[in-house]
This record gives sequence, C-alpha cells and structure tokens, in this order.
Amino acid sequence: MSDAVQTATSALRRSFHYRDLEAAGARFQPVADAAVAWVYGDDAGNEQTRARTLGIADLSPLPRTGFKGRDIGPWLAKQSVTVGEASNRAYPCGKGSLAAKLAPTEVLLLGALDGSDPLPGALNDAWTDDAGLCFPVPRRDASFWFTITGKMASSMFAKICGVDLREKSFDNHAIAQTSVARSNTIIIRDDLGAVPAFHMLGDSASAGYMWMCLNDAMDEFDGGPVGLEAILALRK
Amino acid sequence: MKIMNCPLNGPRNISEFVCGGEVTVEPDPNRCSNEEWADYVFLHDNDAGVVCEWWCHAPTAFWFIAERNTLTDEILRTFASSELFSERQDYSRPEQEAGQ
Repeated sequence: MSDAVQTATSALRRSFHYRDLEAAGARFQPVADAAVAWVYGDDAGNEQTRARTLGIADLSPLPRTGFKGRDIGPWLAKQSVTVGEASNRAYPCGKGSLAAKLAPTEVLLLGALDGSDPLPGALNDAWTDDAGLCFPVPRRDASFWFTITGKMASSMFAKICGVDLREKSFDNHAIAQTSVARSNTIIIRDDLGAVPAFHMLGDSASAGYMWMCLNDAMDEFDGGPVGLEAILALRK
Repeated sequence: MKIMNCPLNGPRNISEFVCGGEVTVEPDPNRCSNEEWADYVFLHDNDAGVVCEWWCHAPTAFWFIAERNTLTDEILRTFASSELFSERQDYSRPEQEAGQ
C-alpha cells in the first residue's frame, strides 16, 4: 500500500458515511483511487481476532460495477468474463474479482478486496451504447458495500434477516437478495480462508442506517468494526 | 410469518412482497372503447376463489404471477410471467407504425 492518509476526505472517493467511521476511530489508507478504513485501533492483532469472531468492514470505496439487460451474457463473454447458468450464485473472475449473477439478466461485479484487479474499470471503459440490451449499473455510486466476517456472522444475521445464512443452508458463493433490518440488500457469501464472510450491498443512501443497525446487532456477540487490513489478513 | 415462494429467489417472508393486482387481458388500446379501457385500468373483478395475481419481490424488483385463493388466502402456485407473456408489449400508435 502507498503512503497512509489521515482522513477520509484526503481522497476524492470515500465511504458514503465516512463520518461514522471516523467517529469509530478509523484511520484511512489509499486503496485504488479511494480512502478506505484501514484500521480502527493500534492493535492489529486484536482486530484480526475480532474479524474471526464477528467483524464488519466498510469496503464502499472499493471498485465494483454492474450490468443489466437481456444481452448481458454475450456482452460479458465478449469481455472474457464467464459466469455460470445459475442465478443467485457468485463466480470468481479476473484477478480476485467476483461476478454475482443476480438474475439471468443482471450481474454485479465486486472488484478484488485489495483494489488491485482492473476488471471493474476495464468493463466500464469497454461498455458502449452499441452493446445491445446491456446497460451499466453504477454500483460504486449507488450501493454501499459492507463485509461481515466471523463465525458468529450467521447468528447475528438471524436477528435482522429472514433468510437462513448458516453454512449448511447457505453455502459459499450463494446469494440472497432479501430484506435486512427492513432494507433491501444483496448478501453474497464469500469465505475468506476458513472464516465465513458475507458481502452485503444496499442502497447507498441507507449506508449510515445499516451501519448502525449491524453494529447494534453485533454488540451481543462482541462484534464491531474492523479495517481492511484485518480483512485481507484473513485470506492468508 | 407467512412465507411466499419467489420463482427467482426462493421462499421469503411475505413482507418482502407487494401485490400488483389481478392478471387480466389488456384490450388493444388503439381499438377498444373508452369504457373497455377504463374497466381495464380502474375496475377489479375481485373474485372469491382462486385468482391469478401479479406480485413483486421488492428487494429484487422481480415481478411474477401467483395463484391465490382469496377465500383462504392460500398461495397455490407462483411462476415466472414468461409462462404467460412471451412478447414485449408495444404501445406505439398505429399512425407511427405507418411512418406518419
């Protein structure tokens, strides 16, 4: 990573609710073209322990994109992005990216967690209005992106979500598009090493509300915010 | 909590769904009378028994069709609208079609 930045506002792209992160003690680091909450305390080891039990990271500034329309399959294939037949499944692609097939006509692409995969930007650049019935969905501006990790994550979700997210019924790379805390969200299971992890996306205007709800639900399990550094460490 | 089965997303709490009203045959807007069009837009049959209804899974904005018994509120079957509708509705006026 490059030089540390002290505030979220020192980068052009930052989280939708960066003030909440600052209030929680976040220190920021430039990742890709954005400032991301890197750590929340001085003890990185403690944060990694929390991430293994129950942690939430705000990855909203990281690259991602989406496309929608009847011709999305052939267009993605033309860009060398292959997704499977089944909807509500996520498919690894590029160099660490994840293509989430939300419907036969819609794909959400999450960039690599370390912001290094150029695929989201390359797809945005490749799209032109002669792509037929295939239209871009500006997920990086429209949707927040939280990642919830740890062995207690599914228990925490059971408090605020009607879908059973336990391992036996919601396997790795399964997707649930459902209501969480009465707000519409996309939940994608994407384990980090041996640690259960769930990417969660929803309306960016609700980022602050959902951050508050999740942190409140996590209190019971001693969960709380973790920085991207702890998330990346789980992959090793 | 009542559960409804979304053809795309599977079983979900009924609170995630919005009813869009009866599935009816749309009259040709260019040829039907005002009375026929008003009946289609504003009036409901409100049948007692098994009916076909439009439903939307709000988190995904996915519209589908459900067979529901309005007497017992039992949902008998849900299915994708493509089972009944295979073509996109065209609302262009006849004179536009003729290139005028």
